[in-house]
This record gives sequence, structure tokens and C-alpha cells, in this order.
Amino acid sequence: MTREEILAVIKKHLADAVDDVDLDEIDPKKSMIDYGANSLDLVEVVSRSMRELKVKIPRAELNKLENIEGLVDLFEKTLQEKGG
Amino acid sequence: MTDSNPRLVTLDREANGIAVVSMRDAVGKNAFSEAFVADIEGCLAQAAADQEVKVIVLVGLPDVFASGAPRELLVKLARGEEVPSDILLSKAVLDQPVPVIAAMEGHATGGGLALGLCADIVLLARESRYGASFMNMGFTPGMGITRLLEHVLSPALAHELLYTGEFRRGTEFALRTGVNYVLPRAEIRPKAFDVAASIAEKPRVALETLKRWLSLDRRRAFEDTRTLETMMHEITFRQEAVRQRIEDEYVD
Repeated sequence: MTREEILAVIKKHLADAVDDVDLDEIDPKKSMIDYGANSLDLVEVVSRSMRELKVKIPRAELNKLENIEGLVDLFEKTLQEKGG
Repeated sequence: MTDSNPRLVTLDREANGIAVVSMRDAVGKNAFSEAFVADIEGCLAQAAADQEVKVIVLVGLPDVFASGAPRELLVKLARGEEVPSDILLSKAVLDQPVPVIAAMEGHATGGGLALGLCADIVLLARESRYGASFMNMGFTPGMGITRLLEHVLSPALAHELLYTGEFRRGTEFALRTGVNYVLPRAEIRPKAFDVAASIAEKPRVALETLKRWLSLDRRRAFEDTRTLETMMHEITFRQEAVRQRIEDEYVD
């Protein structure tokens, strides 16, 4: 799976989770909080993305992330380690 | 005005018979620590004993209504070092002699959601999230929520939320549930006090009498769940994997 595909999954769930976010305007350099996501929105976006990508990441790792790109990196790394 | 403990939960009585129980533990995010539970039980007992009170409005912080058992308590439960005691919190709300309105502006998760569902009238914020997160951590739900959720949701939807543990946005409860109001966060308090003022115009004796009848199903259901949820906890908290799941999945 490519980085673009991973990003598309995250964007889709982010756009579902918060109001007034245009999929095409989401900048991976920004944090989901910049788009109005609250703490439980983040939990749901990550949980739904993990489910779709079929990966599991410990919550402690997620707390270190600074922006959407960081989450893409983490998913990409985990998928590679898994051999996907 | 009466004041049980200004730090975690407070009780204020307004002149028109409206009592306000405010959960305000910003540091602990209104989780049910021992001190928090003692405070809220104290406030509820005081409100229940006050014959001038005709309706109670239960409020939390703008971003968190209540978040259930703290992580440390769950770990102790999983180790068998403690038994759940916050179940009595549900009972303290259900047994209030006058109607209770839960103005749930902020998130409510696990036992925090159960607490709000013990109210007679429930208001949720469109932008907040609500979820029965118990199963995410590998143990069965508590505080009566296995039946309380069915008071405001269809059994099918209630069961889905209990199985999945998902945190759903308030907007998702807007059209297909029996939640009284789903409004923008800023409109929750004004609406809650509007409803409270309407209730407070009625005689206390009539309110108490009607409440005793209208709450009967939920009070009975709660008594059933006390036994069954406790039995389910004895089975599920004993599983070795639960401790790790609490560490991995607890959301704070």
C-alpha cells in the first residue's frame, strides 16, 4: 500500500469525524486538531483507520505524533514490518 | 447556596427550586476517583434531602461531562484488589426524588455515559462524543449501562454501542434515538435550564409522585443489572489479557 493510499484512508475518516472539512484541503503537515478534531475524534479516526488498514498500533505510540504525516509514517512502517 | 466540596463537585441551589450539581474536576477529567465519587454522592444526598428542590441539573465541564473509572482503579479491579463501588453512583441519581436533567455538553465515556443516562432528561452536544468504552478494554459494561442505554436508544442500537465501544458524535444520536435534545454545545445549558424552569413550576409533591412512577422501570432494571453486571465482571476482569488491554486502550 502506498503512502498516498494510507493518507487517503486517514483523510476520509477525518472528514467523517469533524464538521466542515473538505477532503481536498487537508494538509498532512497539519495536526488533526487544526481541523477541529477533539481528543475522542482522534481516537475514532485512528481506530477506524487501523481497522481499514488492518494494523494495530499501541496508543502510547500515537501520543507522540505531531501531525497527520507522522501517522502516515507510523502506519507505513507498521505495514512494512507486517509485510504488507 | 450549599457547597459540599468546591474542588471536584459542587451543589448550588437557585431560588426557583433548581439545584445544580456541577462536576468540575478538570485535572481528573471528571473520572470517578474515590474523592470525586464521595463528593458527588454528598451533593446528590444533600439535594435529595432538600425539600425546596424540585429539579436537579447535572452538568460537567464544557469538554468532558464525565469519564467513568480512572485507569488506576480499572487496573486494581483487574488485579482483584478492589471491587467496583461506583455502581452506587448510578443508584444515587436514579433514586433522586425529583427529576434530574443531564446537560452533557462534553464527552461522556464508560461509566460517565451511564451516569448521564440515569437522568430523566438527557441533552447531548452535537460536537461531543459518547461511548460505552468498557469492551474496548476487554471487560463487560457496568454501572447499569447494559439496561440504561435502552432508555434512550433502541435496544438494537444500544447493543451495537455496547459491543463496539465506539465513541459516537452527538450528531449521530440526533434523529434515531430517544435522547431529549441534541444541540450545539453552546445551547445545551440554556436549554437544560429552560426545561428545568418549566419543571420547577410544578408542585414538589406532584413531581415526586410522578417521578416515582416514571422511573420505576429503570430502577427495577438497574437492580437486575447490579447482580448480572457484577457476575459478568467477575468473569471478564479475571482474564489475564484485560490488564494489558486497559493499559493499551484506556483513553484519557
